[in-house]
Amino acid sequence: MTQTIDIDIRGQICPSCLLLTLKEINRNAAAIRSGAVKIAVLTDDRQATATIPATAERMGFRSAVQHDAAGYRIDISGNA
Amino acid sequence: MGFEQPYLLIVVSSLAIGLAAGFVMYRADFCVTACFRDAFLFRDFFLLRQLLLLVVVSMALFEAGRQTGVLGNYPFPLLGLPSLGTVIGGFVLGIGMVLAGACVCGSLYKLGGGSVLSLIAVAGMLVGSTAYAEIHPQWTSFANASLLVSDAITLPQLLQLPPWALLLPLAAAGGFWLWREFRAGRMDRPNHAVGYLAPWKAVIVLALLGFASWALVGMPIGITTTYAKLGAALQSLIAPDYVDSLAYFQRQPLEYTPPFADQPIRGGPGPQLDAIAAIQYPLLLGIVFGAFIAAASIGEWRLQWRFPPRQWLSALGGGLLLGLAARMTPSCNIWHLWGGLPILALSSLLFLIGLLPGIWVGARLLTRFVIR
Repeated sequence: MTQTIDIDIRGQICPSCLLLTLKEINRNAAAIRSGAVKIAVLTDDRQATATIPATAERMGFRSAVQHDAAGYRIDISGNA
Repeated sequence: MGFEQPYLLIVVSSLAIGLAAGFVMYRADFCVTACFRDAFLFRDFFLLRQLLLLVVVSMALFEAGRQTGVLGNYPFPLLGLPSLGTVIGGFVLGIGMVLAGACVCGSLYKLGGGSVLSLIAVAGMLVGSTAYAEIHPQWTSFANASLLVSDAITLPQLLQLPPWALLLPLAAAGGFWLWREFRAGRMDRPNHAVGYLAPWKAVIVLALLGFASWALVGMPIGITTTYAKLGAALQSLIAPDYVDSLAYFQRQPLEYTPPFADQPIRGGPGPQLDAIAAIQYPLLLGIVFGAFIAAASIGEWRLQWRFPPRQWLSALGGGLLLGLAARMTPSCNIWHLWGGLPILALSSLLFLIGLLPGIWVGARLLTRFVIR
């Protein structure tokens, strides 16, 4: 069973979007890698849809972006 | 003064250029602050490469325009002599734009997209630009006393070379390096935003808009004098005699004959409607509404107001510094980087020398005190 950590950073702009997401990824890196945890970021910053997935993937994680009425949801999970 | 010939062409051109610039900047999220800030914070040079592309394309376009006679007024008006004051102004502006979250132009397109944080930054810039009038006499004395060269506006003038002798080799070298970056796939990256425009496409449009501005208005895109002008106009509502008493608001530094005109026009930072108002008010409004159209047309426009208190304070303080510094340099990063740098204006080169450490300091302050 994977636990989801939701980060709602709607309204915030870069670089705070990326910095706050990085903080959460680093805090849970081992659990994300093992598949126990995934991060779900809710943002309305357009730049974050490029910077967060690119950074997460450089760190060896997987990312997926979905768009809905509330903004963009970026899922970050382990690559196992 | 009423808006009559040659103002009609200037007003319409500036409005159209502003609308197009606001639209593409929003869709590409092309933020000049992020170009430098992300390089320092994350070692992410993606946007900085786009900015270099803008400079290189502008360099080639401007020189081609000058050679063919399409662009007159060379160097374009309002470029000052190189002074130590420009380096200091660039340093303060670098700190301000990182804390504000965007530069003078970036704040406008983000405001058009619904960001209340950018509205606060713009309010700070208005206050900062207007407050500059209080220190203008002392600052001007310092800037004049610290002039590095007194008879050259551009590097080619300083070296007594024809502009093409420096600009064409530089543009060719920059173009070759960027071509290799394109081939290596480093000029584009996946972005999942709706209606996304790749930044490299946006910067080519922005370079063409800078060219159009010079060809139709007589100078590249610039916007900060109008912040002081708008601030002075607002201050005049409360204290008109005081505004009239400030030397800065009596200045008319802009005096030139625009393209397609046969008589000179004048303008300055005072509250009156003049050449500066004709050029920059429509540009400012155009950027905001262009971004609004870009956001609304894809259903993304909404008021974004949920920010931590530290970010509100940072936007206000950063805006104040940015507005003040934009008068000290005197001009903003858009004017220097998109207009002055492509013709190797000495003041723009000095501005860049001050801007880089300013952004580094701003990034440190941001991560230490603002984003937690």
